[in-house]
Amino acid sequence: MSSSDQSSPAHLPDPDDYKGYREPMLGVMKRFGVTVWSEVVARTTRGDFQGLVLPRSETSDAEHMVLKLVSGYNIGIRHDTIESMEAVGYRKAQYKIPEEPFPVDPDKPRVMLLGTGGTIASRLDYRTGAVIPAFSPGELYGSVPELADICNLETEKLFGVFSENMGAHEYQVLARRVGQAIADGYDGVVIGHGTDTMAHTAAALSFMVQDPPVPIVMVGSQRSSDRPSSDAARNLIAATQAAARGPIAEVMVCMFGPTSDRYDLLHRGTRVRKMHSSYRSTFRTLGGIPLAMVQEDGAMEVLEPNVRPRRSDRQARVQVAFEDKVTILYYYPNMQPDVIDALVSCGYEGIVIAGTGLGHVNKKVYPALRRAHEAGVQMYMTLQTLWGFVQMHVYETGREILELGVVPLANMLPEVAYIKLGWALGLHPGDPGKVRELMTTTIAGEMTEGEPFDGYLVLQGAVPEARELIGKVWW
Amino acid sequence: MPRHRPKASPPAPIDLNPRTDPPLDFPVRALGELTPRDYEILGFMCGLEVHQQLDTRGKLFCRCPAGVRTTRVDAEVLRHMRPTLSELGEYDGTALMEFRTRKEIVYRLDRRTVCTYEIDDTPPFPIDEEAIRAALEIATLYGLDRVSELQVMRKQYLDGSIPTGFQRTAMVALAGVLPFPDSELGPDRVLRIRQLTLEEDSCREVSDVGHRIVFRTDRLGMPLTETVTEPDLLTPRDVAAGGSLLAWVARASGRVRRGPGAARQDVNVSIAGSRRVEIKGVCQHKVLPRLVHIEAYRHLELLRIRAELLRRGVTAEQLVLPQLDPPWASPLAIDARTLVGDRDGPPIQGARERGDMIAAVRLPGFAGILAHRTQPSPHGDLRFDHELAERLRVIACLTARPFMAHTDEASSPVHESTWRELRRALRATADDAVVVVWGPWADVATAVEEIVGRGREALVGVPSETRQAHPDGTTGFERILPGPERMYPDTDTPPWPVPDAWLGEIDASQPERPWERERRYVEELGLGARAARVLVERGLYELFDALAPSTVVGRRRLASALECRLLAWWRESGTRTLPESERLRPLVLAIDEGKLRPEAYDEVFDALLRADDAQAGRVLVEQWCARSPEPSLAAALDRLVAAAAERRFSSPDARMRWALGQAMPTVLGHLAPAVVRERLLAVLA
Repeated sequence: MSSSDQSSPAHLPDPDDYKGYREPMLGVMKRFGVTVWSEVVARTTRGDFQGLVLPRSETSDAEHMVLKLVSGYNIGIRHDTIESMEAVGYRKAQYKIPEEPFPVDPDKPRVMLLGTGGTIASRLDYRTGAVIPAFSPGELYGSVPELADICNLETEKLFGVFSENMGAHEYQVLARRVGQAIADGYDGVVIGHGTDTMAHTAAALSFMVQDPPVPIVMVGSQRSSDRPSSDAARNLIAATQAAARGPIAEVMVCMFGPTSDRYDLLHRGTRVRKMHSSYRSTFRTLGGIPLAMVQEDGAMEVLEPNVRPRRSDRQARVQVAFEDKVTILYYYPNMQPDVIDALVSCGYEGIVIAGTGLGHVNKKVYPALRRAHEAGVQMYMTLQTLWGFVQMHVYETGREILELGVVPLANMLPEVAYIKLGWALGLHPGDPGKVRELMTTTIAGEMTEGEPFDGYLVLQGAVPEARELIGKVWW
Repeated sequence: MPRHRPKASPPAPIDLNPRTDPPLDFPVRALGELTPRDYEILGFMCGLEVHQQLDTRGKLFCRCPAGVRTTRVDAEVLRHMRPTLSELGEYDGTALMEFRTRKEIVYRLDRRTVCTYEIDDTPPFPIDEEAIRAALEIATLYGLDRVSELQVMRKQYLDGSIPTGFQRTAMVALAGVLPFPDSELGPDRVLRIRQLTLEEDSCREVSDVGHRIVFRTDRLGMPLTETVTEPDLLTPRDVAAGGSLLAWVARASGRVRRGPGAARQDVNVSIAGSRRVEIKGVCQHKVLPRLVHIEAYRHLELLRIRAELLRRGVTAEQLVLPQLDPPWASPLAIDARTLVGDRDGPPIQGARERGDMIAAVRLPGFAGILAHRTQPSPHGDLRFDHELAERLRVIACLTARPFMAHTDEASSPVHESTWRELRRALRATADDAVVVVWGPWADVATAVEEIVGRGREALVGVPSETRQAHPDGTTGFERILPGPERMYPDTDTPPWPVPDAWLGEIDASQPERPWERERRYVEELGLGARAARVLVERGLYELFDALAPSTVVGRRRLASALECRLLAWWRESGTRTLPESERLRPLVLAIDEGKLRPEAYDEVFDALLRADDAQAGRVLVEQWCARSPEPSLAAALDRLVAAAAERRFSSPDARMRWALGQAMPTVLGHLAPAVVRERLLAVLA
């Protein structure tokens, strides 16, 4: 038994007694001696209702009280319909997740799972809908038992933050911990992460933990793990496979390939981007093809010929630093120069420009760019098109911008350039030459020498052959 | 697949029949041979869950069109469902079963009917307010208490019928009472309604073979109401009547969709000593009585089996497999591949050639039980082995029949000497039954666990299941009945407060409820009680009200013609369409204005149904009205006098009856029979 109901008609006052309730509903509850977790019978102008009072979401209105009926349904009762209410009981639940010992097999690889805050696996509180994260090996074994077939799993929760709140501090703590896990002899590292900024963290790790001997695999889910249709377990299993047994020793993101439950893709940490707000197959490799496929049965097929293989040594260059005063400037027509001046006066040391086309901005901002350059701000050019290379020599505009001190970054993604610039400035404060050298040198595949012909494939307005393909299960 | 076997949660107390004393010696009788008192002795209880699609333009949580039925396939998506643990760390029984089936779920998409919401790649759009309005109107007609604020919940379904793995559903109203008079059960009876919810419809199943189930998504997401009654239905006939009542009331709102599959009911059945079993997706009320009658007997037979097993001293402890993977090599199950041989029949030879796993399972104390009858069928009665076979088909996904044989069969593909060897290897006595099952390795492993598990459930009596209806009135296993813990709040949708203005508008413009209409027909329009009931029950009231005859005789004749002549025309023509009111109106007017006598009603009515169009009908009625009776009658009388002289009659009355029968058609609609009789008396005297 992992959860228990406390039944006591007269319970001690609790700060959560009216959790989420405000006036006018709050006053009605107090008038009738009703708190959260009371079993009540409410007589209203719309009939009698009986159920358990649940906490109210802070973002819902203040007019209604939430009742859970015996059928499992919740309903709302408006304060001014209530004629009388009687508390006939009190049931508060406490939750604990049952654990089953994770089986240990000395012949299996050792994998370290690091948690940053996203829920990888979870149990559901059926009354409030709250998701209770499962994270310890025992908890994970209870919900994703397949993991025990793959490896001996150890876990460590580093932070409890949503992915949009990951930042410089978290990157550095995480990178050091990954470096430690490599030194400690783990055969692979899995990092659970929310999907919104997973690509940013992947980029940060790619620069902070260079040339690792084992796979470092980031994983998350697009459908939360409390849903039967979730991609969480499938992704976690595939990521653990890639970390425990995979041949590629790089920082990677492991997520659904198609929207169907078919296979996961491993994306290089510096070339991956979240491309859809809600699709399962949201992550795509840009400027190339994914590194590998992980099939449902765990079989891995390497797609990209140019990967760093797993090694038996324990060497990795861990360089941890980050300068906060770096930004991305997303160019738009009619941009005014004062935007750039403001950044300079606020003390920004680095600006990554996401330019149009081959890497352009309008003439109007040239003077501001010159002022920024003269103030020592490092400026780099990337592309809003995401696909393709910066080429500033084709048009005169480009050549002029180059002369203003803006450095082209080939096909580095804007977000990756932002992370790299923050890292490089943090590593070499006061040494612009060193920063520029780092920025223009490829460390972890963030710039490539060319683009494969089959990376940028979009089947819009598809030819009959493509339609036939979509007609069968695949996407 | 988990190596440890998670526990399933126990059934909810609400599913148990309140009586615990099964009438084990109750005789076997066919439907129609039992009285309401007999069903009372059985402890028969039944409730309905009626799913009624709403006639909205769009779906409930996205803006795709509702009501488009299609078989076009532009694309397919493949998914699996994985159970999530409840707060108790236990899997819901249904969830566990669906996980054991390890199904590949395929969704077929027609781009005209779905967007990324249906395939669970986009969160819900705001709920469709037209559907909420319709649900509130129906709830008001049912006399239910309406909630102040709708809260969307997720109800888990792991069979794949909804790609998210849950149905979005919201409670709209609770606790109502409908008048439900019955000739046998009393004039003041009521049908209590527990609740009405607004939910999204599921996919249509295309096929379910082995480990692959295929769905169409056109219906997915359409708004429907689910109305749940209390278990107030006490006889099979009552169940059909209750279903009809709910349907008529819902239709009175004018908000419901009609046509195939637009209304479907789940029927909950139990008898004394059993627990609730749910028969899913019945589309027609008329099949309900036989279905629930047979199901009641299935419960009784399963309770008889339970009593017999208990008498033999069989216990649940004897029916537990050790935690082995695979489950054979245990006292209850063995690998039988080396024990079968060339002497066994073709199915076994086929299994050997395919390299199937073949396992034998011992059910201690079950000798003869597998041949115990459970359901009567014109195609041969179903026996307890059908309960086993159904679990193997659905959960172990065994498809190539036959996939099992047992010692209670009169003839089996397993040779007598093989049975002897199997019995020896399993240390089975004459009191035990032995089951052999074959198929793919992993499926047979599941099958062995299911055979032992279903055997263990026989000691409980009736397992909580959902079952699917077959055309012959029998049912087959569909799923384990889910528990209440599969419901939790939908965090993707905000609560939706019901505006007071809406409720005011709805209350102020209530359509007539069926029983109110019935009463009006009798008390204000002068129809008989039976005629009034038929008009309402058969959905003929709209046509009747549109024609609105102004005289009592005109109303009675119209009601009678709609009941007898229209239904006869439907049978004859094979159609089910109502004639448009304009086609019948000339007849109604001719009767009301006295241009035609009522004796001609049925004949003209029949002719109007068959007329090419309303225009032709009008001409036809005009011709009828324009007939001049006197010349025809005079000619007829002359003819009759001559003809009567040549015939012999047993009496003067017989002669008069014959003569009236000859004369009336010539003057139908113009002269009263009494007048014709007078004239005949005068000439025949």
